[in-house]
Amino acid sequence: MNLEIILFILFSVIAAASAVIMITRANPIISALFLVLNFACLAGLYLLLNAQFIAVTQIIVYAGAIMVLFLFVIMLLRPEHDLTLQKKSKIKFMAAAAGIFVFAQLVYIIFFFSPNASQKTSVQSSINSGTIEQIGTAIFTKYVIPFEAAGYLLLAAAIGALVLAKKKFE
Amino acid sequence: MENLKTLVDSLYLLKPEIAISCVLVLVIIMDLIMDKNKTFLPYVALTGFIITAFLVVEQYFFKTSITQNLQKLLVIDAVGAFFKLIVILASCLIVYFSLISKEVKEAFDRHGEYYALICGMVIGMFFMISSADLIMIYLSLELVSLSSYVLAGFTKNSLRNSEASLKYFVFGAMSSGIMLFGISIIFGLTGTTNLLAVKSVMAAGGNSLTFLFASILIFAGIGYKISAAPFHFWTPDVYEGAPITITAYLSIASKAAGFALLIRFITLGYVQQIDASGAWQLVAGSIDWKKFFTVISILTMTLGNFAALWQDNIKRMLAYSSIAHAGYLLLGVVVLTNQGLSAVILYFIVYAIMNLGAFLVVMLIANKIGSEEIDDYKGLGYATPFLGVCMAIFLISLTGLPPTAGFIGKLYLFTALIEAKMIPLAVIAIINSVVSLYYYIRVLKHMFLTRPQNEDLVINTSFAEYVIVLVLAVPVILFGIYFTPIVNLAKNSVALFLQ
Amino acid sequence: MIINYIPILLVIAAAAGFAGLVVYSSTLFGPQSPNKEKLSTYESGMKPVGTTKERVSVKYYLVAMFFIIFDLEVVFVYPWAVQFKKLYNQYGISVFISMLIFLVVLELGYLYVYKKGGFKWD
Repeated sequence: MNLEIILFILFSVIAAASAVIMITRANPIISALFLVLNFACLAGLYLLLNAQFIAVTQIIVYAGAIMVLFLFVIMLLRPEHDLTLQKKSKIKFMAAAAGIFVFAQLVYIIFFFSPNASQKTSVQSSINSGTIEQIGTAIFTKYVIPFEAAGYLLLAAAIGALVLAKKKFE
Repeated sequence: MENLKTLVDSLYLLKPEIAISCVLVLVIIMDLIMDKNKTFLPYVALTGFIITAFLVVEQYFFKTSITQNLQKLLVIDAVGAFFKLIVILASCLIVYFSLISKEVKEAFDRHGEYYALICGMVIGMFFMISSADLIMIYLSLELVSLSSYVLAGFTKNSLRNSEASLKYFVFGAMSSGIMLFGISIIFGLTGTTNLLAVKSVMAAGGNSLTFLFASILIFAGIGYKISAAPFHFWTPDVYEGAPITITAYLSIASKAAGFALLIRFITLGYVQQIDASGAWQLVAGSIDWKKFFTVISILTMTLGNFAALWQDNIKRMLAYSSIAHAGYLLLGVVVLTNQGLSAVILYFIVYAIMNLGAFLVVMLIANKIGSEEIDDYKGLGYATPFLGVCMAIFLISLTGLPPTAGFIGKLYLFTALIEAKMIPLAVIAIINSVVSLYYYIRVLKHMFLTRPQNEDLVINTSFAEYVIVLVLAVPVILFGIYFTPIVNLAKNSVALFLQ
Repeated sequence: MIINYIPILLVIAAAAGFAGLVVYSSTLFGPQSPNKEKLSTYESGMKPVGTTKERVSVKYYLVAMFFIIFDLEVVFVYPWAVQFKKLYNQYGISVFISMLIFLVVLELGYLYVYKKGGFKWD
């Protein structure tokens, strides 16, 4: 076993375990903190796939910015009874069903999907596609228009957040 | 291969999008510079929209082919230009509506944001209409959704309003998440996000079960935008809670963009070729869209029509009616032919006019009496005969009775169905139209056949209101009698489709 | 290949180690003589009332939201900066302009938020 496989097993076990712990906690703040751990392990997995840029983005944006937002929102809402979700077994059952369905779907895709010859990309090119250079080239040549659209999306988000959350306007 | 220079050369194809982006930037800058004085902002937006409308009309005559599109991300063609025209004209009218709407006037300090977000929605819808790439589809859908969540909760004056925004957001986030999952599966299967490339991989023999599943997941995102059942749950609450101008806008522009996206998604991703008779040949092994849409459209129109029967709030009733109309419009997609598509286009012209008209009258009445309950409409036909008669025209047209434009629209839809030998579906649709008669006529009954509660209630209509109501009411009658121009427009738009 | 990331791992380890050390050192070096009074919650000389799970203001949410938006903006700039020289030689000024448009749009958003008092804590 080489280092990559050991790391892969390590990251994926921690990721799976932290995900399970996250959804079984009664206190949403603890759940959120386990989600951070989960994100960090996912970043490690991305790194093993040689997708450095996505790994770093995962840390900066997800584990950083989005989790800060999650925590603020949890503290903003502060459900009166933390245990309400736990008690509703109907919701639990439906969530489990949805989870099993998605899991079965993924298993089916991974094990029973036979890729056809026309789409087999070479291993090397798929390794390279995760690097920051490749992503930069793709965004600024092929995907310039979506990139600019993303700019407007962020602008709309900034305006929207202000309109919804600001009480007094100047 | 993907040369940036070809993009720069073909930027002229993006003129409307560029123009509308400039309008957005301009509105924000003006809002920032002219701090307190916001009265001219709607005029800036309106001017920008009219200029964009001209650019869209120009685009209608470009006659570009599919190979010429922008790095295979966007497709510019006449059908797309038509839907863009619907969107931009609806935007012009909505800005005008906003000028005379009391609700919007009361949120005066946030006018800059209001018009900026409408511009944002227009940009998103333009990209949605012409996108040929899953990344583009997702981004534009998000841009539209994000702006409309905020606009739905814009006035912030009531709990209902905030509830509308929140519900819209929760449902929207859910369905866009589902859609993203579908997109990721397709990317995993094919290694590409381009719809044309996806089609060619699938034609070579892909895993059809997984592909089918992913297609349905992506449809969830689109179905949410056009409020097709079973993704329609947000519609009544949002339409009821949002300011009327935005309700009208969502029911026309957002739906038009959604339908354009649906047609684009089907034709680029699943249609192998269009044969001489105009029928769309699906790629081997693709999901049977015909059966799928038949089920969805029957569900959508039946649910919409029957739920509308019990509504006491007129905005809520019109929301269910717009769900039902999404069902009718899906009938044109079901047949998967060019005839069906031209029927959809024709119906959209008619639907846009009559639905905007109905919402306009509701808004004008709400401005005066401050209520949207159907019970409060008692005797309004006597208090304001002009608005009453116009409302009657719009509602009769929504039912689809002659001599209004609604009849022509439905006629062409049903003809397309019968030509495609889908008679049972046509019968179901006709039964649905009959059901819809009940709830539309109920409003008219309240307006004309009951005596007013308040005998000396007189509703005055200003000149600006007269003009805009007439602008919408006259075409409804006119196109009902003399419909050659719109039929020709619909046929011409489809003539060059996918060649 | 994964070996290449060892320097990054070292940086992360150093950061985590330093943070842990600072926190731990205060308990290590500080004198500790806990008693019951010392460990109780102090609230202006009376018994604490109410819950500790206070709801925070929506203003925090606004700050987090703007943080995400401008964080994402920066994420787009990294790959551009890395590839700029190569792309500039290949395609010329249009690479610069595409980024310029993006940044102008977002800085407009920043300006808007600033002017409307989005960063003010009133």
